[in-house]
Amino acid sequence: MSNEPQSVSDSLQRNEFVVRKERLYGRLIAASAVLTILVTVGIILSLSGHALTFWSEISPIAFFTGTNWSPVIGESYGVLPLVSGTLIVTVCSALIALPVGLAAAIYLSEYASERVRSILKPALEILAGVPTVIYGYMALVYVTPLVDSVLPLSLPVVPSGLSLLPEFTVVVPSLRTFNALSASIVVGIMIIPMVSSISEDALSAVPDSLREAAYGLGSSKLDVSTKVVVPSATSGIVASYVLALSRAIGETMAVTMAMGMSPQMPYFPNVLRNLAESSQTMTAAMVQIAGADSYGGGPTYEAMFALGMTLFAITLTMNVLAELVRRRFREAYE
Amino acid sequence: MATESEDVDKLRRASGTRRRQLKGRLFEAALLGATLVGIVSLLVLFGYTAFDAFRPLTASAQWYLLYFGTLVTPTAAFTWYARRNPAVRAANAKAFAVVFGALAVSLLTYVVADSVSPYDVLLYLLFGTVPPLLVGLYARITDERTYSGPAIPVAAVLGLAVAALLYDVLRPLVGIAAQWVAYFGITTLPVAGILGVVVARRWSPRRGITAAAAVLVSTLLVAGGLLAAGIDPSFWVVLFSAFAVPVGYVVGSTVVTESDGRAGVLGPFVLVGGALAGAALERQLAIEGLESYLTPTLLLNSWDGLTASNAGVYPQIVGSVVVVGFMAVLAFPVGIGAAIYLEEYAPNSGWGGRLATLLEVNISNLAGVPSVVYGLLGLALFRNALGFGTGIVVSAAGTLGLLILPIVVVSAQEAVRSVPDSLRQASYGMGASRWQTLRNVVLPESVPGVLTGTILALARAIGETAPLVIIAVATTTYTPPSGLFSSATALPLQIFAASANAKPEFRHGVVPAAAVVLLVLMLLMNTTAIVVRNRYEREY
Repeated sequence: MSNEPQSVSDSLQRNEFVVRKERLYGRLIAASAVLTILVTVGIILSLSGHALTFWSEISPIAFFTGTNWSPVIGESYGVLPLVSGTLIVTVCSALIALPVGLAAAIYLSEYASERVRSILKPALEILAGVPTVIYGYMALVYVTPLVDSVLPLSLPVVPSGLSLLPEFTVVVPSLRTFNALSASIVVGIMIIPMVSSISEDALSAVPDSLREAAYGLGSSKLDVSTKVVVPSATSGIVASYVLALSRAIGETMAVTMAMGMSPQMPYFPNVLRNLAESSQTMTAAMVQIAGADSYGGGPTYEAMFALGMTLFAITLTMNVLAELVRRRFREAYE
Repeated sequence: MATESEDVDKLRRASGTRRRQLKGRLFEAALLGATLVGIVSLLVLFGYTAFDAFRPLTASAQWYLLYFGTLVTPTAAFTWYARRNPAVRAANAKAFAVVFGALAVSLLTYVVADSVSPYDVLLYLLFGTVPPLLVGLYARITDERTYSGPAIPVAAVLGLAVAALLYDVLRPLVGIAAQWVAYFGITTLPVAGILGVVVARRWSPRRGITAAAAVLVSTLLVAGGLLAAGIDPSFWVVLFSAFAVPVGYVVGSTVVTESDGRAGVLGPFVLVGGALAGAALERQLAIEGLESYLTPTLLLNSWDGLTASNAGVYPQIVGSVVVVGFMAVLAFPVGIGAAIYLEEYAPNSGWGGRLATLLEVNISNLAGVPSVVYGLLGLALFRNALGFGTGIVVSAAGTLGLLILPIVVVSAQEAVRSVPDSLRQASYGMGASRWQTLRNVVLPESVPGVLTGTILALARAIGETAPLVIIAVATTTYTPPSGLFSSATALPLQIFAASANAKPEFRHGVVPAAAVVLLVLMLLMNTTAIVVRNRYEREY
């Protein structure tokens, strides 16, 4: 292929020093790229080192199936109460953020004028940029009293006119100072932009030919949006959902400040009580251990790394999953 | 005609067009509502926070009238006037940028130098900048390009290394000078140099030298006058040379050169003058002012957990600034280097191509790792592996640096990618090497994008709390950090710790005020980023 002339005149050949210099710069730049891989390696090594020490002392079975987390007093390291706390926050915040984020994405991609978009998009981005401590503070000091002012609520599920059926009401009890509901609300608000921006990218990537075909068949804008564009962008939307959930799982300060530090197994069958009571997530437990200043080592200190390892594994799986879903979607239209 | 419209009407009814239209409108309204719900609820929560921090109900009606008259009306009138004329608007924006930018830079310089010791800053500044400047000068005189490129950074590193090695010998020598002389060296000399170069490029070298000399002489005169009056001139030297000089230069040159937009430079002065006049009148007329929690005490005192009127977050603010600043020094070269590798150097196929794919996947995954996990990494790396003490500046900055690295890489990649290939090919066609193309074409073109991403990453870092809690940064310290290895704290940590304080004057007073400070810092950085992007972004 390449028939490079072997005898290039000396004036065209770069000085050897220059060639070496170029090579050195190239290597320096490559080194800084490789450093980002070292960060991942560092995370895995540092987490697994301590976590394996922990799991050699406390069996992983006891860790993953235990229902009592009290590292300091009872020395029992059952992770399920923390997982349940994390799940409560994730599910409730998802109930807020996923529909709202998708609706915002549809609005921005299909309905909004260029001018409105240029205002609303940065405004939505700010939701994710506000420091999470401030979210935590606002949840604790403002959201809880605000929500609590309409509680306790009892909602009759069966209208009282029907005397044949037994009376059945859902009772939302009044909130504790630290509660899962207000933490979930602020986490929900902060992950809205995750859903809306990634979903919007997916929606705008749907080719216009599909929209035009639908309009040509006499569809209204509503039909085009809900029956053509959204189904065609499903994989992108799913990816945005998974990423937002992974962000909610890893969220730390807001849940630590608003949800409290008392690990609980979920209340059943009165599910709504879980919202009103204080609980603890995995991340909050890590903050508590770090704040307790037990740096001499020991199982409690190592438990923090075991929790971190679990958290890292969960979020990494979700991110990889989202990426895979997104890849499939990209192939569909390019 | 009548029958035709009846027919249309009938057709509409039959196909249910009206109902469909209504449904469509309702759907659109619901979507808009959903888009706004997050923004509105956040605004409501901000409103509550600001209400608690500023306590707007404590001020009397006269107070509002006074500031409405001195501050709001003139500023609004001037803004309205400036918006109608593009030249005035441009001059106004420039004046605002230089006044508030220079104010921020001079305050930051003074505050950081004050906490670290101005002598240390001067020492490292001298040894870090003078050798590369000399090398650059030599290269320019002899027109030597092959060796001077790499020699300049090497000279800087060597200079810093010499300063660090001979610190014990050099520090007493520098310490002989009075404190204000050190500040003179930190601020006035660089400002004079930069101004001289700017003026020389714009007009003539002779004028450049005159301008630089004028800066030096006038700063010395200010310092001499203050010394004669028995006042320590340190702060005023910084304020004069880093604030008054650039403001004077930009305002003066705009007035001289842009006759159309001349009036625009008054903008910031109307604002500041209105605020000052309001304050003076408020004191003069003894009007009941705002009993806000956001006071100079809050900004300048150290923390007091018992009396709210005494509590301040000065060490926390300085700690945040020092940590985030040092983090920037650590993370940005690496992040930008990685981005350049991925966009410019990485091959598409073979082992190198696989490595590049791995790097891309790895970076997108790193961006999704929860921030607590970075805290654990920092703990293991800086405390266990390197043996640094807990809660010092280096480990906090390193941890945050690792955290924002993927963000920096992704944004820098986008900036580098947006430089069109035609520019690169033109450069290669002129015989430039890869590095020369990168240095002289790609990097200068992508600076605004890189800068925007950088500032956004800084704004993200300044609010991070969880990793700092995990690496056990102290929540409260009473002095700002005095060096890279001294313990520091950060503003969000103090908010975290103090929100547990149930006293109403803390929970509904000092903490929201501190939160407002943090939010203002973050929003200012975001606004700067957006302004930089809008102003310098080019469409290709």
